[in-house]
Amino acid sequence: MTRTPRMKARSKWPPRLAKAFFLLVFGLWTAAPVYIVVSNAFRRTLDIRRMPPALVFKPIFTHFQRLFELDDFLRYFVNSLVISVSVTFVTIALGTLAAYGLKLFKSRIGERLSNLLLIGKMVPAITVLLPMFILMNRLRLTGTYLGPILAHSAMGLPFVTWIMASFVRDIPGEILDSATVEGCSRMKAFFRIIFPMLAPAIASAVILIMQFSWNELLFSLQLTNLDTYPLTVGIARYVGAISVDWGKCSAAATISIAPIILVGFLMQKYLVTGMTAGAIKG
Amino acid sequence: MTKPAALSLEKGDLLPTLLMVPAVSLVLGVMVVPLAFGAFLSFFDFSFGSFDPRTAFVGLKHYLRFFRDETALKALGNTLMFSAGAIAGDFTIGTLAAVLIHSLSRRLARLVRPIVTVPLLVSPIVVGLIWRYIYDPQGILYWMMDRVGIPFEFFPGVTSASTALLSTIIAHWWQVVPFLIIVLTAGLVSIPTELYEAARVDGAGVVSIFFRITLPLLRDVYLVILLISGVDTIKVFDIIFALTGGGPNNSTVSLSIYAYTQGFENGDLSYGIAVAMVAMIATFGLFGIPFILQNRNRRDR
Repeated sequence: MTRTPRMKARSKWPPRLAKAFFLLVFGLWTAAPVYIVVSNAFRRTLDIRRMPPALVFKPIFTHFQRLFELDDFLRYFVNSLVISVSVTFVTIALGTLAAYGLKLFKSRIGERLSNLLLIGKMVPAITVLLPMFILMNRLRLTGTYLGPILAHSAMGLPFVTWIMASFVRDIPGEILDSATVEGCSRMKAFFRIIFPMLAPAIASAVILIMQFSWNELLFSLQLTNLDTYPLTVGIARYVGAISVDWGKCSAAATISIAPIILVGFLMQKYLVTGMTAGAIKG
Repeated sequence: MTKPAALSLEKGDLLPTLLMVPAVSLVLGVMVVPLAFGAFLSFFDFSFGSFDPRTAFVGLKHYLRFFRDETALKALGNTLMFSAGAIAGDFTIGTLAAVLIHSLSRRLARLVRPIVTVPLLVSPIVVGLIWRYIYDPQGILYWMMDRVGIPFEFFPGVTSASTALLSTIIAHWWQVVPFLIIVLTAGLVSIPTELYEAARVDGAGVVSIFFRITLPLLRDVYLVILLISGVDTIKVFDIIFALTGGGPNNSTVSLSIYAYTQGFENGDLSYGIAVAMVAMIATFGLFGIPFILQNRNRRDR
């Protein structure tokens, strides 16, 4: 109830009205584009072009039908799932171990390495992708799942480690020391004590890395082929053309955003702490 | 019998080093090796099949070409303008919205937050797609503008070289402003309410409270956001790829888009890599080095 005095001080009408208006505009601005694309997925092609758009209409499923029956869109969906889940496992496992390692260093080398992590986040994808494409081509990795999984993992790992390290740093050293005194080895202490304590941190990192991989386009565009295209590449192939089949595109976009928005909604608390941890705690 | 400390997993730096090995090898093998290989290739004329480093060495040719290539320079300029415009809007709209949302009652704020997080989860390619539909000359934006009497020529959107870059920036705002709101809200919560109350007792207005209290206290938060989101604006690819593809008349070509086109569509991999190297150097110079210095200062304090 600490907010009551502030609310009272601001109860004058014109500012409150302006505030309400701004929030309404902002809410519309945020929600309308998503509503537009999702609702278009269920409209007849003719109605997508009709202005003003009808707010109430009878939904149709022909666009989805076309995607799954003619374009094998289910495969893209499965590919996205395989890639993003693998990337999540790899980066969380390696990132958590590395974050624990950074904490254990007695010398200042841990801090130096933490700084290096930040550099990893700054490397543009295209700068890695062009030479990587040549190397993966030589190793015959293009067109396999391994290509995008490795690429996403390496690009996301510095960021995941950075987030995990910011949580591990907060664990008091006494907890580690007391575990060692009781005869726990340092690895045993990690699995028995540290890892369970990190559950919320891991949830934060999971949602962030999963949405990164699920939504990533550039690497997948060049490293996958017809058999391994994820959803983003499937959509990009529809959009690239000069004229756009809006019905099909909107349905494809809806399939791509629905699951990740659902996961994000369920894990909202962790999404928010993950973002603020990455940005604020450093 | 006690083992010497250097070989013990329980003392010293052996265990932490071992823990770092998997992560470091993945990043080295999949990110650093390609980068080094790319830096190497940017001094050669690479072609698939018949690449011989002894005869293909061209020195600085690709980098010199970059600075004589009008489209490349345009891409550099576009990238910097995109970055500046994106950051300016992100910060202004983000701050306004965060301060307003923070001043709401807790119940309302809890209602607003799930809506705010949605754009962050939408794939940038889909963001581009959505805005391409909105900017369609026969589409919803121009229908609305027509309704309130604004002529098409006032804002020709993605069809004109004069407003296309701004159009991509607006789409970027839609996606990234929520990130600012979330992080700034966390910052605002950490400011003790007593400070505000004291200022109000002294008769300070909303604006001066913001500039005297909020802004100075959130300085570090703003710096970190600036550097994180700044890096992302220099790398911009997906939104432009879906929205304009770089056109019209190259007015929205970014460094990433140009490197991609040169490398994969024109098959000039070496030049594409050189362009991408310039993009990386720009990212490091503008945001990377300040970021590292800032982080070091913060930790020393």
